[in-house]
Amino acid sequence: MTTLSIVMLTIAAWGQRLVGAFLIGPWLEKRPTLARAAGLIPAAVVMAVIVQLTVSSAGSLVIDERLAGMAVAAVLVWRRAPFIVVVVAAAIVTASLRALTG
Amino acid sequence: MAITFFSLGVTLQVLLIDNGASSTRAFLASFVIFSATSQFAYLAVREGGGSDWAAIAAGWVVATRFGILAVSLAPKLPEGFWRRAAAAVNAFDPNVAVAVQQETPRQVEREFWRTTAGMFLGWFSGLAVGTLLGNVLGDTQRFGLDAIFPAALLAIIGNLLRQRDGCIAGIAGGIICLILLPFIPAGLPIILSVFGVAIALVAVRLPLQIQGDPS
Repeated sequence: MTTLSIVMLTIAAWGQRLVGAFLIGPWLEKRPTLARAAGLIPAAVVMAVIVQLTVSSAGSLVIDERLAGMAVAAVLVWRRAPFIVVVVAAAIVTASLRALTG
Repeated sequence: MAITFFSLGVTLQVLLIDNGASSTRAFLASFVIFSATSQFAYLAVREGGGSDWAAIAAGWVVATRFGILAVSLAPKLPEGFWRRAAAAVNAFDPNVAVAVQQETPRQVEREFWRTTAGMFLGWFSGLAVGTLLGNVLGDTQRFGLDAIFPAALLAIIGNLLRQRDGCIAGIAGGIICLILLPFIPAGLPIILSVFGVAIALVAVRLPLQIQGDPS
């Protein structure tokens, strides 16, 4: 990570919380539809990051062992498995398939 | 909760170091940013060939999650700017979820900090272990560590995806990103995926309108 990115992301993570707590929060209270929309942003953008990490490599679409690892992770998240179980299972499935096919 | 943050800290450090960061820089970055999701988003865009600024923008969009957590936490805390500010900057999913269920402002504050203490313990020991581990692992792809990255994010937003509108927003955001990925510069698909929210709002309203129609 570059120094610029460390500074900017620190401002993002800390600043947005303060803005949320003291400025946006009271303002959103009177606007329930906007408040709901705001609550959905993380679902949409984090899912986009997940998609990019699962099926792309250096800017182009790539289907490989990661997808199988993610399918297992998705089932585990849905079954409310603990965090550590989800990530370890995703890694084991991906690594095993790679060892078999590679 | 401490165990979750411990594993998250370990994962993040191993990935940062695998990505070419020195141990000191990786530790420092996670120490001050204290936001695995933003850092994951940043790394994803960089890995996809995006510029530093595109990656920062993606990290910003993803960090809105924290702003929203602070929105629901702040009004339930005892009055006072500094008390609220101190808690707000430490708002994460688990501590806010526990805190907002309490009845009085004092209980909210106490339970918030109690959960936060456990998270801190897990996070900082995870960072330390991950930093050490990252230097000895070598080829991380062989261990499937590139799959840990998206799997960790999915686990973080799991509860949001369990709600109907959260699920639609997630799927829509994912599809938008998937369609745009091969065509536009890295970083932009993630930023544009916010339009998944609009799709979710429209989709959730449709059946309600049909039900509410007296004819």
